[in-house]
Amino acid sequence: MNVRAADLRSALSLPATAHSQSHPRKPTAQSSKKPEGISRELYALIGPSAPSLSLAANLAKPRLKQKPNFGGRGTTKWEWRPFRPPARGDSLQLEYSFAKYDVRPAKYTYSDEEYSALLEDNGWSKEETDYLFDITHEYDLRWYVIHDRYDFLGGPPRAIEDLKDRYYSCCRKLIRSRPWSGDEATKSQLLNNYQFDKEREKMRKNYIASLEERTQEEVAEEEALFIELKRLEQNERRFRKERDELLRTLLGIESGLPDIVAEEEGPVPLSADSLKKKKKGTMDVDFPSTPTNVVSLGPPATKRPQSAKAAVYDEKHCIMRVEPPASATTKTTHVPVHLRSLKLPNLKGTIAPKVTEALAEVGVRYPPRLVMPTRENCAKTESLLDATTALIDIKKIVDRVDQDIRVLRARLGLRESAGTDGDVRESMQMDIDESKDGSTNKEGEVDGRAQSVVSTRSGRGRKQSRRSMSVSSIDTSASTRTGTKRQKRG
Amino acid sequence: MVNYGGDEVSALVVDIGSSSVRAGYAGDDTPKAVVSSYYGYKTTAGDSDAKLYLGQHGPSIWREGMEIGNPWRDALIFDFNPIPPLISHALSDIMHANPSEHPILVTEPAWNIAANRERMAEIMFEEFQVPAFYIANTGVLNAFAAGKGSALVIDVGHSVASITPVVDGFVLRKGLVYSALPKLVHAHAKHVLTTPTPTRGSIDLYPHQLIASKIPVEPSASPRFALREDRLAGTTESWRTWYETREVDEWIQTVAGVLDQGWNEQVAAARPPRQYEFPTGFNTSFGPERFQVGEEFFYHSPQLVAQNPNLPKNIPTLLSESLRACDPDLRQVLMGNVVLTGGGSLYTGFADRLENELSRNFSHVKIHAPGNPIERKYGAWLGGSILASLGTFHQLWISREEWQEHGKAIVGQRCK
Repeated sequence: MNVRAADLRSALSLPATAHSQSHPRKPTAQSSKKPEGISRELYALIGPSAPSLSLAANLAKPRLKQKPNFGGRGTTKWEWRPFRPPARGDSLQLEYSFAKYDVRPAKYTYSDEEYSALLEDNGWSKEETDYLFDITHEYDLRWYVIHDRYDFLGGPPRAIEDLKDRYYSCCRKLIRSRPWSGDEATKSQLLNNYQFDKEREKMRKNYIASLEERTQEEVAEEEALFIELKRLEQNERRFRKERDELLRTLLGIESGLPDIVAEEEGPVPLSADSLKKKKKGTMDVDFPSTPTNVVSLGPPATKRPQSAKAAVYDEKHCIMRVEPPASATTKTTHVPVHLRSLKLPNLKGTIAPKVTEALAEVGVRYPPRLVMPTRENCAKTESLLDATTALIDIKKIVDRVDQDIRVLRARLGLRESAGTDGDVRESMQMDIDESKDGSTNKEGEVDGRAQSVVSTRSGRGRKQSRRSMSVSSIDTSASTRTGTKRQKRG
Repeated sequence: MVNYGGDEVSALVVDIGSSSVRAGYAGDDTPKAVVSSYYGYKTTAGDSDAKLYLGQHGPSIWREGMEIGNPWRDALIFDFNPIPPLISHALSDIMHANPSEHPILVTEPAWNIAANRERMAEIMFEEFQVPAFYIANTGVLNAFAAGKGSALVIDVGHSVASITPVVDGFVLRKGLVYSALPKLVHAHAKHVLTTPTPTRGSIDLYPHQLIASKIPVEPSASPRFALREDRLAGTTESWRTWYETREVDEWIQTVAGVLDQGWNEQVAAARPPRQYEFPTGFNTSFGPERFQVGEEFFYHSPQLVAQNPNLPKNIPTLLSESLRACDPDLRQVLMGNVVLTGGGSLYTGFADRLENELSRNFSHVKIHAPGNPIERKYGAWLGGSILASLGTFHQLWISREEWQEHGKAIVGQRCK
């Protein structure tokens, strides 16, 4: 900025120096000239002191709207000019810029040796093959046109598939036999481009033809069938929907319809907080411990493949995931959410009192009421019941055999007393039977012992963990509650 | 560098049909010159250098002893002598263009023979001294005019109805069919007019050139007119035939139609009749018979077929014949790209009827039928105009040099 001393003085109302007075202010030619791009008014305000060169440059009008300068001759004159099309060999003068799009497919040619070595075919003479290759190139592989124009004197009539098959098979053979400079992938890709399955193509054509040759009645019938099918499908869908609706209304969550489960609970895993609480066994008194709140952590509604992370999570939080049974795909066999303890096997009528009796002998109640129906406990209860049933069955058999033995012995004794010699073989048989029975009996006893051990164990477990059990059940419900809450908040 | 207009070579397009010759500049949307293909000549004057009466002041003006000729016979150009004068009349007299300065694209029917196209090339190069020449197929050009590379072109012209399958700009010759159906329809129309009915007598088809005076009469009343007796003696048979044909054509164009749902006596009777007045002053209204005329395109009665074994095939027959010759793969493509063209297709209801006929047998039929009569009548010219103004087309021109070097063989090689 070249602020002049005189300007400063005048601005501060200082008297001008003699020096300045001696040279009266006279705008120089440079300063008086208005730089381009600044309006006259603005320039008058700034005065000659203002714009430096760079400022003037910045203020210059943007050049966007300027017209291009064509050598200053005003508008361009149009004139006719002869030109030569690059695609032409002669001197006809014509030019255009789209010649680059005029691409032709690669043409395969073959020498006489190649033909005799590779391309011999009983159905095709060399002349006809030559003709085929020429016409194929002439019409740029437009097969419909080639087939239309194909007219080899003395040759048999050829279908379009015959022509294609011959051409492509020759090309494939040539590609295979010739040295290939590129890699195998491009070669096989090229070979793929020349792949042609004549039979398949013919079959396809026949299908199309038969489709077109349907009579009006056949077409109408087909359409009617199609509409009927659509109608049936729609009915089925409506029926299913109505049934679901009914189930939902009547049973609610217990209907086991997947969408309801998703609505009420969601497949959201329990929060880490609530799980910690559960581990510590702290009781949350805010929530009542009704058993209906105990939710099975078993089969989740969605069947996703477990990620490693989820597996670790499950491991850490003792979550067992149960694969839904394969048969549960249809709705009729769908297993709704249930308590594991409710699914313990029910015993059939006649055997039930006996089992109850047998279990009562060793101090186990039947039906067993597990304080904490964990997976292991349930499994053990189940195996206990199975074993008891088996034991009772065996006992029954033993009793019957014993009875038989007794009867037979009695009969034997009767015969001996009658003086008749018993059949040795029969008695031998009896012995063997007896010994067999004995062993079975022993096994039964062992089984029974084992069973009793189990049952006592479970009984012990029951006594020991009564408190913790109830706590955990409460806790589960509590944690699910919090889970729901969180969901809502989210 | 400015590229716009780089494709422009100011080519001329000449479409020679049996009813008219159309000529104009490539890139235009309508031909500049439309000249009747009929020409007048006098036999007395001698042979080839006889004066031909062409264009507007040609056949339509009565001249003593003037015969009327047409270069076409049996769907091909039969007589090439009047062709140069016709072309010259259109290009030089009407367009005031110099043919030696412009490449010229000429059309030919798809069934043209090699000799004819070579003759045409010869006329162009030797008589008109054109710098470049190309002869293109009307079927392909009609497809191009509709903006399609593949199409089934149904062309109902003045004397021939043809169906041309076009694939990628090539005619499938095996699927090409044509018949003189329009002539049959015309003959039927003439028959309808000249046959007396209970309400009217046979109609006289005198042209206005031969009528000295007439008095207006009530509808269907017998006409009262006086003939120009001075002219009758000098009127030739060919001129009489020509004007009768014209009168019938006029009547057809004004009155005739096609029922779009097939022939139905009640529907035809329910349609409003149309009034028509002939040059003699006779006027009446035409009811169902005007639809009978158009019906001939689609249906021939069994007794008619029995009487005429060489009856031209009607459109449904041509269609099924053409499609049978095409690859099954192509049929669906073609039916989706049906192009209806030609002045003969301008009967009211023709396009609707065709659509009904087609969709009865095929699914997904799509018919391209320009509503603009100019586009319908001059479809081949329009296609030629488009083709000749394309940059990619210029490599196909047969240049003068090529013609001189290769001779006639180049025509067959270049124009596939």
